[in-house]
Amino acid sequence: MPIERQENLLRMKVNGRAVEVQVDPTWTLLRVLREKLGLTGTKKGCEQGDCGACTILLEGKAVNACLVMALQAEGKEIETIEGLGTPDRLHPLQKSFIRHGAVQCGFCTPGMLMSAVALLRKNSDPSAEEIKRSISGNLCRCTGYAKIVRAIQNVSDFQEERGHATGD
Amino acid sequence: MQKFQFYTPRSVDDALAFLSHNAEQTKIIAGGTDLIPSLRQEDLQPAFVLNILEIGALRGITEQDHRIRIRPTTTFTEMVESPVLNRHFPSLVQAAAFVGGPQIRNRGTIGGNIGTASPAADVLPAVLALDGELELQSKRSGTRYIPLSRAIAAPYKPLFQPDEILTGIILPKLNPEARSTFVKVGRRNAMARARMNLAVVLGMNREKVITEMRIVPGAVMPVARRMERAEGALLGKKPEPPVVDAAAEALAKEMVEVTGTRWSTEYKFHVLQNLFKGVLGRLTA
Amino acid sequence: MKRRGIGIGSMFYGLGYGFSREDISSATIEICEDGSVIVRSGEVDYGQGSDTILCQIASEELGIRYDTIQMITADTFTTPNAGPTSASRVTYVTGMAMLKAAQAMKKTLRYVAEQMLGQKDLLFGDEKVYSMSHPQKCITFKALAKEAHLRGAPMVETAWHDITTKDVDPETAQGDAYSAYAYATQLAEVEVDTDTGKVEVLRMISATDVGKAINPLNVEGQIEGGMAMGLGYALTEEIKQEGGYLKTHNLGEYMVPTSLDVPSIETHIVEVPLPSGPYGAKGVGEPALIPTAPAILNAIANALDVRVTELPANLENLHRLIREKEKGKTG
Repeated sequence: MPIERQENLLRMKVNGRAVEVQVDPTWTLLRVLREKLGLTGTKKGCEQGDCGACTILLEGKAVNACLVMALQAEGKEIETIEGLGTPDRLHPLQKSFIRHGAVQCGFCTPGMLMSAVALLRKNSDPSAEEIKRSISGNLCRCTGYAKIVRAIQNVSDFQEERGHATGD
Repeated sequence: MQKFQFYTPRSVDDALAFLSHNAEQTKIIAGGTDLIPSLRQEDLQPAFVLNILEIGALRGITEQDHRIRIRPTTTFTEMVESPVLNRHFPSLVQAAAFVGGPQIRNRGTIGGNIGTASPAADVLPAVLALDGELELQSKRSGTRYIPLSRAIAAPYKPLFQPDEILTGIILPKLNPEARSTFVKVGRRNAMARARMNLAVVLGMNREKVITEMRIVPGAVMPVARRMERAEGALLGKKPEPPVVDAAAEALAKEMVEVTGTRWSTEYKFHVLQNLFKGVLGRLTA
Repeated sequence: MKRRGIGIGSMFYGLGYGFSREDISSATIEICEDGSVIVRSGEVDYGQGSDTILCQIASEELGIRYDTIQMITADTFTTPNAGPTSASRVTYVTGMAMLKAAQAMKKTLRYVAEQMLGQKDLLFGDEKVYSMSHPQKCITFKALAKEAHLRGAPMVETAWHDITTKDVDPETAQGDAYSAYAYATQLAEVEVDTDTGKVEVLRMISATDVGKAINPLNVEGQIEGGMAMGLGYALTEEIKQEGGYLKTHNLGEYMVPTSLDVPSIETHIVEVPLPSGPYGAKGVGEPALIPTAPAILNAIANALDVRVTELPANLENLHRLIREKEKGKTG
C-alpha cells in the first residue's frame, strides 16, 4: 500500500533541532509541543483557532498550532517562542515589547511575537496598519493592542540570527 | 477526540485508492480550520482521517486561455497573493482576504471552504458568482464535473460522493467588460463570520447597458445561489437609480422567499438592498 | 452612507469596597543582612503590575534600586493578608500599607544611622544614607543594614492600612460611601455606516485622574486596555442564553475587539494628588474602562441623532434604530 505506514512517528524540526516523537494521531501540534516536548511557551487559549494564543511558525508562516494535526507537521520546520530568544539572550522584539510596556498578563505575548516575526521577515518597515493586520488573529484583552503595535513598529535591530535560536 | 488513524497519501491516486476502500469512515483534512474543531467536539467521529496537504497536484493556480484553475488545497493567503487572481478575479481575492485572520488564511483552503459548505462561507459565494465548476475524482467513477451551483444540497452538505476528492475549481475568465467584486459585513474587522456578504459580477457595454449580471448574496440563506429574478431585472438595462432600487428590492424579496421571516430577516432585508446598491454604484461609476 | 460623530463620557468611581465593607491590607518589608530587601504582599500580579508598584514604593522610600528588592506575592503560606486584588484598590490600599511598612523600616534604619554618623539630618537616596549638611558623612545602605542587624534592630516590618468607611445614611443618602474617588473623561469619534449599522471607532482620547502615576507606562497600559474593553462592551460583546445554556460560550461567539477594531488611543494622565494615597496615587484598573461605552454611544448619538439604550450597539440593534428614525422622518 502506497500510504505511509501507521506508525504515528512524527519527525519534524523544532527551533532548528530535529525531533522524533511517537504521537497519538488524534493529537494536535499544540498538544505535542506542550505535552510531549515540554514547550509550554505556546499557549492553549480556545483550541479552535479563535484567539491566536497558540500561534507558531510552520514553514515560516504564522498558524494556530491547535488547528494543525500533529502528523501534518511531519517533515516540517516549526518555530516556537522558545526559539526566538532566551532569558539571557532576548530577541530584539522581546526587548522591544518589554521596553514599550507591551506585556501585561503575557498570555497573548508568545503568539503576538510569532505573528510579528512572520511580518517583519517579509516587511522590515511595516506601517501601523500593516502591523495591526498581522496581529489581527491574536486577541489581547489587557493592552488594547496599543503598546504591542508600538513595540513592533519600533523594534530596533530586527535581524535573524538563525544560529542562536536553538540556544546552542 | 474519538480515536482515528491518520494517513498522508503522497499522490491523488494513493488518496483515491484509500477512499475506494474506506470512504464511509474517512474524513478528508486539508487546512483543518473547520474539521479540527468538529473532531474535537466529536460532531464527527471518523475511523480515518486522510491528510491531502502533501499532494502537490492538489495545490496551485494555473491560467489557461479561457479559464483559471484553482486546485483545492490552495490556501486563502496564496489566493490573496496570486497575481493571476488579482488580475482576473478581484472578488475572489477580496473574499479570501476577509476570512478569519492571518493564521486561518495561512491554513484554510478554497477546497475546504467549498467542501464545508457553511451558509456563512465567504469564498463559496464568490466562486458561485464566477460560475465556478468543480472537478471531482474517484477511483470508482473517474473524473466528473459539476457546476458549484448544483453541488450543494443543504448547509454543510456538498453533493460529493464519500469516495470522491475535489481536485479542481475551474473558473471561466470574464468578458473584458465585466468586473467582479465582493463585500462582507462582519461584526468586527477581523476574525468575523460574515453577517452578510455579497458577490457580484457586472458587465456593461459602451452604451452602459448591462450585459452581464450575477448576484450571489452569502450568509443570508441556507445555501447561497444566484438570484435570477434580481439579475433579470437589470440585464439589458442601464443601471439608473430607479432600476437599481427595484432590482435591490427584488433581490431582498427573493431572499425572504427562501428563508421565510425570522428575527434577523428585517435586518437582512434592508441591509442586503443597501449593500447591493452600494456595490452597483461603485461598479458602474 | 457614512456619518461621523463625536461623543464624550465622564465618570467618577469609588475606589475599594466602600459602604462600611471591610477594606484593609497589609504588607511586609524585610531587610536582610546583606542589604537586600524582601517584600511580602498578598496581592496578585496578573499582569497589571502590582508587584512593580509595590517594589517602586519600597525602592523610593528607602532610596535603593528595584533589583535589590525581591517580591514575594500571593503566597498564602508567607504573605500577609492584602485583601482581594480587585476594586481598583491595590495601589491605593496595599500601596499605602507598603509605604507605611517602608516608613517604619526607614525609621529604624535612620535611628541606627544617626548613631553611626552623629548627624540628625539624614537622607536616603542612591543606595546610601547621608547627611544633608555634611554629605561626606554617609554610609551605604548595605553597610547600614549589616550594622542594624548586628545591633539587634528589628529588621522586619509589617504595616496595615484600613480604608473602611463609615457608610451612608439609608434615609438621607449622605455619608461616606467610599474613601476616595477616581475621575476620568473620554472622547470617542465614530463613523457609522447607516447602510449596515457597523460602527467604526476612529479615535479615542482619555484623561484620567490617577492622583499620581507611580508607573506611567503601566498606567497607560491599564487605560488603553480598559478602553478596548469598553469598546467591545459598547459594540460587540454580548452574553446570550437559551434555556439555561450559554450560547456565546467561546471566543468565536463572544466577540472581543481585535487589533483592527481598536483605533489609536491618546492617553492623558492627570495627577491631582490624593493625600490619603501613597505618593498621592489612586487606582486606575476599573476607571480606565468606565467612560468608554458612554463616549462611544454619545458619539453615535451625535452622528445619527439616535439614542442607544441597549447594549451592545451591534449591527442589528443599531440598524433598527436607524430605520425607526428614518420612518419617523418620512412617516
